[in-house]
Amino acid sequence: MNNKKDIRILAYESSCDETSTAVVKNGREVESLIVATQIKSHQRFGGVVPEVASRHHIEVISQITKEALDEAKVGWKDIDAIAVTYGPGLVGALLIGVSAAKAASMATGIPLIGVDHIMGHIMAAQLKDEIEYPALALQVSGGHTEIVLLKDPIHFEIIGDIRDDAAGEAYDKIGRVMGVKYPAGKTVDNWAHKGKDTFHFPRAMMEDNDYDFSFSGLKSAFINTCHHADQIHKKLNKYDLAASFQASVIDVLAHKTIRAIKQYRPKTFIMGGGVAANHGLRERMSKEIARLPKSIQPKVILPDIKLCGDNAAMIGAAAYNLYNAGKFSDLTLNADPSLELPYADSMLK
Amino acid sequence: MKILSVSTATNHLSVALNEDKKIIVEKNEHDERNHSEHLDPLINEILVNNNLKLKDIDRFAVAIGPGSYTGLRIGITTVKMFASILKKDVVGISTLKALAASCSDQKSLIVAGIDARNDNYFAGAYIIDSAGKLVNVIPDGHYHIDTLLNAVHDYLEQSKYAKLIFIGSGFNKQEKLIKDLHVPFTYGTADQNVVHAGIIGKLALDEKAVDPDKLLPRYLRRTQAEVDWHKKTGKPFGPDSNYVEEV
Ligand SMILES: [Zn+2]
Repeated sequence: MNNKKDIRILAYESSCDETSTAVVKNGREVESLIVATQIKSHQRFGGVVPEVASRHHIEVISQITKEALDEAKVGWKDIDAIAVTYGPGLVGALLIGVSAAKAASMATGIPLIGVDHIMGHIMAAQLKDEIEYPALALQVSGGHTEIVLLKDPIHFEIIGDIRDDAAGEAYDKIGRVMGVKYPAGKTVDNWAHKGKDTFHFPRAMMEDNDYDFSFSGLKSAFINTCHHADQIHKKLNKYDLAASFQASVIDVLAHKTIRAIKQYRPKTFIMGGGVAANHGLRERMSKEIARLPKSIQPKVILPDIKLCGDNAAMIGAAAYNLYNAGKFSDLTLNADPSLELPYADSMLK
Repeated sequence: MKILSVSTATNHLSVALNEDKKIIVEKNEHDERNHSEHLDPLINEILVNNNLKLKDIDRFAVAIGPGSYTGLRIGITTVKMFASILKKDVVGISTLKALAASCSDQKSLIVAGIDARNDNYFAGAYIIDSAGKLVNVIPDGHYHIDTLLNAVHDYLEQSKYAKLIFIGSGFNKQEKLIKDLHVPFTYGTADQNVVHAGIIGKLALDEKAVDPDKLLPRYLRRTQAEVDWHKKTGKPFGPDSNYVEEV
């Protein structure tokens, strides 16, 4: 163990509205993490404007490269690989990270590793604890709501996917109706803790046999309820609204995930993505898993709250596994805005 | 001094290696929509063929804008990272100046432009002074063709220039309006109408190097979202750095 050389990866993430760099040791230890967030800028427009995001990324990219190295107290000679998110995401935004990482790789001669953003989100768990395989991940964010089977550290398969709006997107949309500033997830989560599920919104596809999700029906029911109240000048309790919405989202996520755990019997259960920071969801999943028979109870890894959102540390963690598998990229690496993990055979009907 | 220069400002990709005033090699790819995939391999090919490493380059130069926003950012991010990591000089050259520099006619007003659709142009006008240097006389900007040609007309009125050259893209479809100026004019040749990295390298010799962290595209245009927000709220745009915070 001790004669094995430490592997240090400098990672970039710029797929949406955070520009981030990090140095990660052995895929487990965050030696530095810099996150430049543009939230203030996009709040002006009520959501992420791709061209504005790209303009902000290029403003900070070289500066935060130096900061990541300085904070980790390392130089380029200590870096074994340069990793970067190459998709999915906003193409113009992705291209800043990809161009920067490739240029850094050329300038230093350090090998390059392109990383799938979703694989990164899931691997935030590796920064918390050791993952035993096979593992199962519930990956929930602004753009994704998926159940992913991890056969080993680099082979991931989607077994359940969103059919319409992702969970995080639904949070932002109903947040807007309630006058919550973008991004709405955190506020809605806080409100939900102060209210009760009094509206009983629909739980979509709960009893279907697959692991797919849909939140557009819930979103419409929520918006209709608010509009109707508006028309008759009735004021609804925002805490109960938030609690009812959240209860519906979490019921569906928990129900389907538990069923997937029973079928696939993973050794580890992981949550990843921005919505994995949701306290209601974290509590519920932990509770449900604790209720499973001991024989099929997976180890649970909930990533640190601050590593649930987009960050380069998670990309460094995922890149370490690709490094060990010899999966490097060359200078033709390009942004792939619609990159997708493969679907399990059972999904290909 | 060895200069490596790049243009990704338009759909024409160009990379060159210059030694002082001489262009050693220039490689071009026309109508290429995938600068991200092709730029680094092209740079690498030039370096390998000339037995050079990136660290042997003294100065990096890039078309700084105007041009395709995404395109500009690919080239600028690349050279900014080279310069920052290798602690070398970097300079940004106006895309329009680089276009204008393909002319040597001291008697003409040189109008350089990039078609920005709907009769709009990223454009500027240049003259060559008695010392042979390019001087920008109508500032680089985003103009409607009428505004641009009015500015050209006004400049011709108060100067000795009585001929025009239009360099770049999309001017030939404005021929009717250009004829209304009643001034002899020509268009650039196909070769002059594309941005050449070798010319950027030449112009970069006289230019002052900048801090790589501060090397940013000159878009010459705010995003539609910002313009709409400004109209709606009346709030000032403020420096972009106000909107990005490290957390
Ligand atoms: Zn994400």
